[in-house]
Amino acid sequence: MKKIMIASLSFLVLFSCTNSGENGENGTDEHSEINVYTHRHYESDQELFKLFEEQTGIQVNVINASADELIQKISMEGSHSPADVLITVDAGRLERAKSLDLLQPIESEVLAETIPAHLRDPANQWFALTKRARVIVYDKDRVQPEQLSTYEDLATDKWKGKLLTRSSENIYNQSLMASMVVNLGEERAKEWAEGIVQNFARTPKGSDRDQVKAVVGGEGDIAIVNSYYLGQLIHSSDPEEVRVGQQVGIFFPNQDDRGTHINISGAGVAKYAPHKENAIRFIEFLISEEAQGIFARSNYEYPVNEKVAPAELLQQWGTFKEDTLNLAELGQNNKRAVILMDEANWK
Amino acid sequence: MLHVQSVSKSFDKGKNFALNDVSFQLKAGEVSAIVGESGSGKTTLVRLIAGLEATDGGHIVLNGQEVSSARRMVPPEKRNVGLVFQDYALFPHFDLLKNVMYGLSKMKNKTERAREMLQLVGLEGLEHRYPYQLSGGQQQRVALARALAPNPSLLILDEPFSNLDAMLRTHLRSQVFEIIKKTGVTAIFVTHDTQDALAVADRILILQQGRLVQHDQPANLYTKPSTLYVASLFGNTIHLDQEMQSTFACPLSEHCSYAIRNEHLCIDKECEYVTEAQVLKKTFIGSGTHLVLRLENGQNISVVTRATDVAEHIRIGFNSTDILELAK
Amino acid sequence: MWNVRANRLIRDTDRWSVATLAITVFIALPILFIAVSLFSGPGETWQHLVQNLLLDYVGNTVFLVLVCSILTLLCGVGSAWLVTRFEFPLRKQCEWLLILPLTIPSYIMGYTYAGVFDYGGSIELLMRFAGWDFIRVDIMNRWGLAFILSISLFPYVYVSARSFFLNQSGNILEASKMLGVGEMGAFFKLILPLARPAIIAGLILVWMEVLNDYGAAKYFGVNTFVTGIFRAWFALEEPDTAIYLSALLIVIVLVLLMLERWQRKNIRIASLKYSPLSPRRITGKWMQWFILVVLLVPIALGFIIPLAQLIYWAFLTAAQVFNTDFLYISFQSLGIGLVTALITIWFALGLIYFSKWNNLVSVRNVSKIGILGYAMPGAVIAIGVMIPTLALDKWIIGMMEQHFGLNIGFLIHGSMVALVYAYMVRFLAVAYHPIESSGQKISKSIPDSSKMLGIGNIRTLFRIELPLMKSGVLSAFILVFVDVMKKLPLTLILKPYQVNTLAVKAYEYASDERVMEAALPSLFIIATAAIPIIFLNRLQVTD
Repeated sequence: MKKIMIASLSFLVLFSCTNSGENGENGTDEHSEINVYTHRHYESDQELFKLFEEQTGIQVNVINASADELIQKISMEGSHSPADVLITVDAGRLERAKSLDLLQPIESEVLAETIPAHLRDPANQWFALTKRARVIVYDKDRVQPEQLSTYEDLATDKWKGKLLTRSSENIYNQSLMASMVVNLGEERAKEWAEGIVQNFARTPKGSDRDQVKAVVGGEGDIAIVNSYYLGQLIHSSDPEEVRVGQQVGIFFPNQDDRGTHINISGAGVAKYAPHKENAIRFIEFLISEEAQGIFARSNYEYPVNEKVAPAELLQQWGTFKEDTLNLAELGQNNKRAVILMDEANWK
Repeated sequence: MLHVQSVSKSFDKGKNFALNDVSFQLKAGEVSAIVGESGSGKTTLVRLIAGLEATDGGHIVLNGQEVSSARRMVPPEKRNVGLVFQDYALFPHFDLLKNVMYGLSKMKNKTERAREMLQLVGLEGLEHRYPYQLSGGQQQRVALARALAPNPSLLILDEPFSNLDAMLRTHLRSQVFEIIKKTGVTAIFVTHDTQDALAVADRILILQQGRLVQHDQPANLYTKPSTLYVASLFGNTIHLDQEMQSTFACPLSEHCSYAIRNEHLCIDKECEYVTEAQVLKKTFIGSGTHLVLRLENGQNISVVTRATDVAEHIRIGFNSTDILELAK
Repeated sequence: MWNVRANRLIRDTDRWSVATLAITVFIALPILFIAVSLFSGPGETWQHLVQNLLLDYVGNTVFLVLVCSILTLLCGVGSAWLVTRFEFPLRKQCEWLLILPLTIPSYIMGYTYAGVFDYGGSIELLMRFAGWDFIRVDIMNRWGLAFILSISLFPYVYVSARSFFLNQSGNILEASKMLGVGEMGAFFKLILPLARPAIIAGLILVWMEVLNDYGAAKYFGVNTFVTGIFRAWFALEEPDTAIYLSALLIVIVLVLLMLERWQRKNIRIASLKYSPLSPRRITGKWMQWFILVVLLVPIALGFIIPLAQLIYWAFLTAAQVFNTDFLYISFQSLGIGLVTALITIWFALGLIYFSKWNNLVSVRNVSKIGILGYAMPGAVIAIGVMIPTLALDKWIIGMMEQHFGLNIGFLIHGSMVALVYAYMVRFLAVAYHPIESSGQKISKSIPDSSKMLGIGNIRTLFRIELPLMKSGVLSAFILVFVDVMKKLPLTLILKPYQVNTLAVKAYEYASDERVMEAALPSLFIIATAAIPIIFLNRLQVTD
C-alpha cells in the first residue's frame, strides 16, 4: 500500500514538473516559441504549424478549446497570460475579445496589403485568415434557382414549412442575424427572424450537415448552411453523404444588392503576448500564399489572400458578390441578435 | 482503579437516556459482572469506559487519570483497556499470531509474548491458522489472548458467551476466568445471563433501563435484593402485595416491599403461611416437575418440585425466614 | 448549562474535525466560489432569460430527470435482478455486457444514434436494402435525448443494485418463502425497499450526469439548464449570469441530495450482513431464452448497436484519421486516467474517513458537499478551479517579482496539477459510494478492536480496513478511471499544451460536425474503458 502511495506521488510530481515548465515564460526568450489559443482543430492546421516551425524554428504551442472558453481563459489570466495568438472561427468572437481589451493593435504592412479592408479590424486588432459564406442549398428536383433571391425572401410565406436551418445557439446563425440587424435595423430584423421561424420545416436541431441531409430526405426544400460543409459532404468518406451533397444545389443570396453574408476565421495578437514579434510573423505566415493554399485545399474555405485560388469545387460554384460590411459590426451586434432571436422564438 | 461518577449518555439529544446517573467503583484485580436485559445500557456503559463513546454527563477515572468528562476525552487507543467483542472481531486477513501481536507494537519480544499468550489460552501450535479456520470457542480464546497480550490495566468482555452453546459455555467460562484470575487483571464482563455472573464475579452490577440498581457481591444480591427486579433476576419471585398477603394470611408491615422466591415455596409441607392452589399444568423438566398453579385469588404462579406425584389440589406455602425485604 | 455544551464542543472538536473541514473546503472550493456568486446576483440579461427561456430550461430539465429516472430504474434494477437471480445461457457474459454502455460518452451516443436514424443513416440503408420505403423516425427531441441518456447511464443503477442483490438478499428471500410469500412478493415488498439506498445511490449519479449533459442536449436541440448556462455565458456574453445559473444548479442538486438523505432515514438497516443469493433459479428452457432476449435489449441498445455503427464509421474514415500519434495519445489518456483515479481515491478516502472519525455531526453533514462537483458542467468547474489557482499564482508571481526580481509564469494554472485537481473535484462523487458502502460492510467492532489495541485511526485504516475493502476501492478506481477517459474534453481550457487525449480528439471531431471521424478515437476510448470494466464485474461477483 505504501509503495503505491509513493509511486503515485512521484508520478504526479514528474507529471506536473514536465508540464508547468513549458507553461511559465521567461519573457526574454523571444526566439523559441509562441503560444496559440485556437478554436480550429483541423489536421491541416497541424500541418501549417509544423511548416511554420520548420521555416522559422519557432515552436508552436497549441491550446484547443472553444473560442468562448479561450476568451474566458485569457481574460482571467490577465497580464500574465502566456497567450500570444487567438484564433477563432467567426468574427463575432474576435470582436468580443477586442471589446474585452484582450487584443492589441498590430502594425504590419504585409497584413494590410494582403487582406481586404472589410476583412480586418479597422483598429488592426484582428485579421481574417479564411472566409466562408452562409448560403442557401436547395434540392435540385424540387426547387429552381430562379425561385431564390435574398435572405429576406426566405421569410416570406412562399417558403412556409420548407425552410431548414440550425439553432440560434449556433454562432453562424447569430452572425447572420447580426448582419440583418446592421443592414435592416432592429425592427425589420426581428420581423425577418419571426418570418424565418414561421417557415421552419421543423424545430431547429442538429448541425449544418444535418440540415442538408434533411433537405434531401424531403423534410424541407431549402436550408441555410455554411459553404464549406457542402464541400465536406461532397468529399465525404461516406457514400451516402456524397450522394446528399450532389443532390443539392448552392445559391448565393443577395447578389443583386449588398451581397452574400460572409464570416471569417481569424486571428489576433493577445494584449500581453510574451512573444509579440513571433506572433506577428505567425499571422503573416498564415496569410502567405503557401499557407492560404493549404487552407483552400483542405477545408473548402475561401482564402483571403486574393492571389490564391480556392479549391476546385468552389471554383465550380463560381465567384459571388460578398457583403462587405465590416465584420467588426457583426461582433458588436451579436448579443442584440441573440436577444432578438430569443424574442422571435428561434429555438 | 476504575471510578465511574454520575455518568449519563443519551443518543437522541436528551429525549431518552441510555445511561442515567450511574456511579460505582471497582478495585484492582476485581472481576465484576454487569447484568441487565437488552436495552439496559450495559454495552453503552462499557463502551464509555473503553472510550468508544463520549459521556454526556459525569466522568470516568481510570487508574487515577480522568479519561472521560465534560471537557476531556481520551481516545480509546490511549487508554490501555482491553476489549473482547461479542463477535470476537478477529482480523480475518491476519493469522492468529499476527492477530495477537497486533497490539504489541511498543513491546520488545513481541513474537515471544504472542506465543506465550496463545499458549496460555491453550492454542499453541495453531499460530499460523486463520480465524475462519477456527471454531467459535477457539476464536473467543484468540480474542482473549489478543486483548490480554498488551497487559491492559482493565479488561472488558462484552457478552463473551452468548454465541456459544450451553455445554461449551460452562466449560469455556471457567477456563476463561481461570486465565483472567491467573493474570490478575481487573475485569468487567457484560452479560444478560445471571448464572454466568453468579459463577464468576466478585461483585455484580445490575443495570435496569440505564440506571444502576444494585452493586454487590453475588450472595448479597441473592439474599438482600434491593428491588423486585433484582430479586427476579435470580429466579422467579412473587411480589407479596396486599392481595398476596391476604391470600397467604401473611400480614406484613407497610414500610417496605416484600417478595418470596418461587424456589422457597413448599408444597404440601408444614410452613408458616399456606394457601390452597389448583394445579393447572404439569411439565416434566428432567430434574423435576414444573407446575403452573392457580391460587385462590385467581393469580397464577409457577413452581418446580422434586415430587413426581402431584395431586390436583395442593397446599403451597412459605416461611417467614425466606421473606425478602425490598427497598420501598 | 450552556457552559457544559461549550465544554463538550471543545472536547469533541479534534484534529479530525479540522481535517474534515479542510479537505471538504479543498474539494468544494470551486463549487463554493460559484455558489458565492448567488449573492452578487445575475447580469442584466437575467430578465430576458426569465421571460423567454427559463421556463423552457426548467421544463426540459425536469422532464429529462424524471424520464431518465424511470427508464434507468426499470433497466438497471430489472436487469440486475434477472442476472443475479436466474440461470440462463450466456449469463456470465451478460453480467459485464450490461456495464459496457458506460464506456460510451453520452454525446457520442447521441451523435451515433442520430446518425443511425438520420437521412442516409444505417436504418435508411437497411430499409432500402430490404426494398422498403424509408420512414424517418425523428429522435432529435427530448424523448430521444431521454432515451440516449438512459441507455448510456443505466449501468450506474445496475451496478449498485446488483451489488446489493448479490450480497445481501439471500436471507430475506429464504425467510419470505418460509412465510409463504413467493418470489415476486418478496421482491417487491421486501428486497426492493431494502435495496432502496443502494439503488438511489446509483440513481444520484444518473441525475447528476443528466443535469450536466451539454453535448447531446445541444445537438438534439433540447434546451436544458446547462445549455442555458452556456448560452448566457457565450451567446449573451454574460459570465455573471452563467455563474448565477450554475449556482442555482448547485442548489437544485443539494435539494435532490437532501431528499435522498431524508428518504434514507426511514430505512435503518439493522444488519448489513453478508448473505449471498444462491443457488440461482433454473427455469424452463423457454423462460431462460426469454430472459436472455429481454436482457439483450438494453445490451444491444446501449452497446452493440452504437458500437457497430462506430465501427462502420471508423472503417470509412480510418485512412484519414489514424496515425502514429494515436498510440501516443492513447497512452497519455491512460496515464492521465490512472493518475486522476488514484488521486481521487485518496481524496475520497480522506473525505469519508476524516468525517467518520470526527465527532461533530454537523461537520459530518457538511462534508457531503464534496460530491457536488459531479453535477457541474466541466467548463464551470474549470472556471471554479481557475479562480483560486490564478489568485494563488498571481500572488506568487507578484511576490517573486517584488522580492526576487524574478519573472516567472504561472505555476499551478495551466499545469497538470490544476487539471487533475479539476478532475478530482468533478469525479469524487463516483468514488464515494463504492468506497463508503464497502467500508460499511466491515463490522464496526473490527476497527474498534484495533483501537482498543492501541492503534490509532489512520494506522487502523491502512492495516485493517483497507485490506478488507480492496474490492470496493478497486471498483471506485475503475469507475473514476472510466469516467475520466470519457470526459476529458470538458476541461480543455485547463490542460497544458502538449497534453492531448483520445477524448479530446473525439470531441473536437464531433464538435466540428465530423462525427464519422470521431468514431475511431471513440472506439479507442471504449476499448480502454471496457477492459477495466470487465475486471470490475469480476470484483463485484467475487466480493
